[in-house]
Amino acid sequence: MEQYFIDIAGWSVSRAINESSWIFPLVQAFHLVALGFLAGSILMVDLRLLGKGFSQQPLARVARDARPWLLGSLVAMVVTGIPQFISLATKEYESPYFRWKMLFLLIALIWTFTVKRMVAYSPEGRFGGGLAKLVGLVSIGLWTSVAINGRLIGFFS
Amino acid sequence: MIDIALGDYFAPLLNLANYVAELPTSIQLRESQYMMPWVFVLHVISMCMFAGTILMMDLRLLGVGHMQTPFSQVQRRLFPWQMGAMLFSSLTGLALVWGNPLNYVTNIIFWVKMIAMVVAGLNAMAFHFITEYTLVDWDAGKTPPSAAKLAGWLSIFLWANVIVSGRLIPYALTWFRS
Repeated sequence: MEQYFIDIAGWSVSRAINESSWIFPLVQAFHLVALGFLAGSILMVDLRLLGKGFSQQPLARVARDARPWLLGSLVAMVVTGIPQFISLATKEYESPYFRWKMLFLLIALIWTFTVKRMVAYSPEGRFGGGLAKLVGLVSIGLWTSVAINGRLIGFFS
Repeated sequence: MIDIALGDYFAPLLNLANYVAELPTSIQLRESQYMMPWVFVLHVISMCMFAGTILMMDLRLLGVGHMQTPFSQVQRRLFPWQMGAMLFSSLTGLALVWGNPLNYVTNIIFWVKMIAMVVAGLNAMAFHFITEYTLVDWDAGKTPPSAAKLAGWLSIFLWANVIVSGRLIPYALTWFRS
């Protein structure tokens, strides 16, 4: 397993990113801008699930409007995340926070595209208010954990 | 390395920064191994809340997102979250500067961020006091007027600038000599 990460760090693209003094910082900065859009499109639906806004709008309508921005910002996150990963592959391999981030990311994605999706698109009232709140809270908790561990990768390795 | 000598322009601020840096709370923050990273983490979380709720409102203003909800509803529902997150961001940001004031007052990218924040605030005020009076004409409509779109574009550009320059603050040391 470790050998894969060493190989990735050795790619010429990875080394080029490391040799430049500005590529990595700029990619990282735009990763955060994409994070702003991602957080927004997730919160629009989660706040609605929590009953903290847009209660005059059907839930499915709020979710459908947020969907293209959720998908678009997820793509932007991956596109700006990969250059960071390949240039620091050996460091990421050793970082516990990177592993936590990837684990939470996987669970958050599954939660978002299965449970949360089902609750958000089903006819209003089919799932009780308490359940909707729980689904929204779990979503916020999972995505917050992804962000927290992402930030911690840079501090302790 | 590009030479800039911010220290000359900010001599009074530098004195203030020196004073703050010597306060016990500042020293405690700076010397604690875990405090600073966690303040950074909280600052990022508050940024997610703030930028997220601002950007989603901007998309509605541009006429490209959340179009099934009238603008006034998007704005009214997000407003308390935007303000709460702004407070949360400001407090964590203040703590970061408090712990390392000398790192920031002579940092050109830090000032780019601060100026972008002020201009973003003025843009929001201009929208609120001028353009929002025409809201009745386009609230639920598919195409907001160009003044509203301009406010939306400016907001996205300026807040993205705040995020980008915020992330780049530590790199000022390798890019510029000040």
